[in-house]
Amino acid sequence: MTETESLKLINEMIGKAKRSYITTGAASIVWGILIVLCSLLTWYQVYTKHFFDFDVWLLVFIAVIPQIYFSVKEKQKKKFVSHDERTMTYLWTTFGICITMLSFYDSKFNPNSATTLFMLMYGIPTFITGGVFKFKPMIFGGLICWVLSIASMYTDFAVDMLFMAACGLFAWLIPGIILWRRYKKQQAC
Amino acid sequence: MFKELDPILHSQLRLAVISLLISVKEAEFTFLKEKTNSTAGNLSVQINKLKDAGYIDVTKQFSNNYPQTICRITSKGVDAFEEYVKALQSYMNPNGK
Repeated sequence: MTETESLKLINEMIGKAKRSYITTGAASIVWGILIVLCSLLTWYQVYTKHFFDFDVWLLVFIAVIPQIYFSVKEKQKKKFVSHDERTMTYLWTTFGICITMLSFYDSKFNPNSATTLFMLMYGIPTFITGGVFKFKPMIFGGLICWVLSIASMYTDFAVDMLFMAACGLFAWLIPGIILWRRYKKQQAC
Repeated sequence: MFKELDPILHSQLRLAVISLLISVKEAEFTFLKEKTNSTAGNLSVQINKLKDAGYIDVTKQFSNNYPQTICRITSKGVDAFEEYVKALQSYMNPNGK
């Protein structure tokens, strides 16, 4: 084996390992659908003044079940562990804990600015994940969350809910669909 | 002066395995077999050579009642790989430019 062949082999193997970092995007799609759905239902209630008997945001907690299911299923299929996986687990667990705490804070004190804080929080893990994996749709999604978070300081609650639906769409649903399509394409190869 | 190439790494399959393991935290035997297009027997022999040199750690366990072999590169393996790449670069670019 010549020096050139050795370097070519190293590059080829590193490239193969990198291309193996692929996720189904299912968890992102589920989370995205729920945020969009809950935001639009809340907007509908405020807009029509027709309020439901239950808090639609409780549906978000139901999303935890498919999230765990897809995570476990994905983990079982995977034949390797990447360097960034531990970081991502801690990042998204931190996000989950902070969002839960913020929800309790919101229900107890009912501050006017809670939607701004929620969108601010949505941007953090999304932007970091996009940056770590060099996945532009998530970087873009994180930035949209922050821009809409700033915009929500100047709008009323009903408009905030439309902003929140846009956050769910751009931060998770669209990136999730892109990841799903990539996964299906790779499976077909 | 050319640096000597590490004979443990200067073999096609062993170099392929180390290059894959440097890119991930840990990998299953089946992942390495699939990516290197090697036979189980040959891969097993080369993995043992890397293990004996202290370049990788090999853990055998059971997952869903199936035997599973997990490989991960050691810090000695990372150092050896870096030295190997430096040595290759010295061959490719002897003037150091």
